[in-house]
Amino acid sequence: MVKILYLLDCYPQLYCPGQLNMYFSKKAFVWCMLHSCYSSLVLFFIPWGAIQDTVRDDGRDIADYQSFASLAQTCLLVVVSAQLCLDTYYWTTVNHFFVWGSLAAYFAITFTMYSNGMFLIFTSIFPFIGTARNSLNQPNAWLTMFLTSLLCVLPVVALRFILMQIRPTINDRVRYKMQKDTLPAPPPRRPVRRVSTRRSGYAFSHSQGYGALVTSERFLFKRPIKSRLAFSVQPDGPLARNLPQVFRPIAEELHESQSSKS
Amino acid sequence: MLASSYKDEDGHISVSGSGAAAAAGGGSLRNKKPENTAFKQQRLPAWQPILTAGTVLPAFFIIGLIFIPIGIGLYVTSNNIKEIEIDYTGVDMSSPCFNCSQNFSWNSTKSCTCSIPFQLDQPYESNVFMYYGLSNFYQNHRRYVKSRDDSQLNGNEESLRSPSKECEPYARHDNKPIAPCGAIANSMFNGTTKPVNWRRPVYELDSDPNNNGFINEDFIVWMRTAALPTFRKLYRIIQRRNNLLPTLPRGNYTLEVVYNYPVRSFEGRKRMILSTISWMGGKNPFLGIAYITVGSICFLLGIVLLIIHHKYGNRNNGADVSH
Repeated sequence: MVKILYLLDCYPQLYCPGQLNMYFSKKAFVWCMLHSCYSSLVLFFIPWGAIQDTVRDDGRDIADYQSFASLAQTCLLVVVSAQLCLDTYYWTTVNHFFVWGSLAAYFAITFTMYSNGMFLIFTSIFPFIGTARNSLNQPNAWLTMFLTSLLCVLPVVALRFILMQIRPTINDRVRYKMQKDTLPAPPPRRPVRRVSTRRSGYAFSHSQGYGALVTSERFLFKRPIKSRLAFSVQPDGPLARNLPQVFRPIAEELHESQSSKS
Repeated sequence: MLASSYKDEDGHISVSGSGAAAAAGGGSLRNKKPENTAFKQQRLPAWQPILTAGTVLPAFFIIGLIFIPIGIGLYVTSNNIKEIEIDYTGVDMSSPCFNCSQNFSWNSTKSCTCSIPFQLDQPYESNVFMYYGLSNFYQNHRRYVKSRDDSQLNGNEESLRSPSKECEPYARHDNKPIAPCGAIANSMFNGTTKPVNWRRPVYELDSDPNNNGFINEDFIVWMRTAALPTFRKLYRIIQRRNNLLPTLPRGNYTLEVVYNYPVRSFEGRKRMILSTISWMGGKNPFLGIAYITVGSICFLLGIVLLIIHHKYGNRNNGADVSH
């Protein structure tokens, strides 16, 4: 996070994708819909083709409703995790824990729900008894999962790679630069004593929506506290004239005062 | 009146103004900054992968080179499985079962039989599995799938006396509960408080006591609803006798059918399938063909990406970020 803010300071062009609505526009939504439709078709028809008119390796049925549902669901989980891994650009320990942990939790919950114990206790709620352990021990099932996940993920990877080569966005360039050369460390932040800081903290620029609101005077006035304060106000300063105050950092002021002296 | 209270960079809140010290109780308020650990200050070491040519291109080529042999292996295995399907619905006039299918009625006591000759071109080795297959039979219809009572099948006495409401209208007959209840049991293949359309009650399904009642294997196989409208279910296994002789040698065979199950009313078809089995199951070339296709597309895409990278790939390196 510190690094991201630092990057925004170094490369202010990184604000451009937000202002141009590159990642949250109707076009992005249509692409997302197309990708979802393609993934859904793959996630249904590949398991359908794999279990159609065939049986398990010991001759019993594999094309029953419960096994098919379990297979399609597991394929879905694998595809979703793979897509999540593609979209995670910053892998900390926390990310690793949650991604692999969610896959492990899925398998744990599935095996628990389809276990004998659950069926005996809540018979009508958990009728899929034995489905997980009987469908996931088939090499057919794992081959199907492998094929489905690659078929869903590879087009995304290829498209992103092609776009990065032909039309790299500012994000791609900065990321590439960050990986190639190490950026200089951010300057140490000396505790600078300021007269008054009235930053709004509004660091994200998307559309023009809230700019006017934030810079209006409504935020400069706070609720008056109960006890009266003897507060000295400059009679003809910007506050008295109801104009926003303008501040310059101390370093510039020192420099100016030095240059004005010399 | 303006009160000026600000938070400087270290998170200290201090209030300025001449009378404010008295009001705020003197000095600065407590420090609200989070502790200086890597986790809370978001300084955890991280791996930041990006898609470079050095990772993507080899990945595509390797995936292509792995998938094609797997696909070929699957396809060859599938082709080595021997399978024969015999449709005995009796749709054509020339079919031996045509008369049985035309004259089917629910009330007839005498069952119609027909014989269909077929021929095995190759000997079938090892265990041979016999399946019955149905087409256009939607066992995956939602109301049908729910029409069962698992507690009753599990032997729960209370459910045997009063079947669940999901089984309606096949739950009671003449005010007596039906066991097994539901539409799935009622439509059991070749089923001849017994379900309305069964010829024999559930405790007479087989003379073998281990295969009678609710644990009858044909019953269990039928109750497991199929996912697709064209399905096959295991009927019998022809065990291998010894290693020297094939289980079913080449030659002419005859299939004798006792025509109990009407399918022509919903334009369904029924067939008998004899098949051998391999490590990947029955005969299904889909996975083999899919793997070969995806592998070759991957390889071709890798070549295309290589060309694109060669032609345009320097836009990322040479270009300065600041334009």
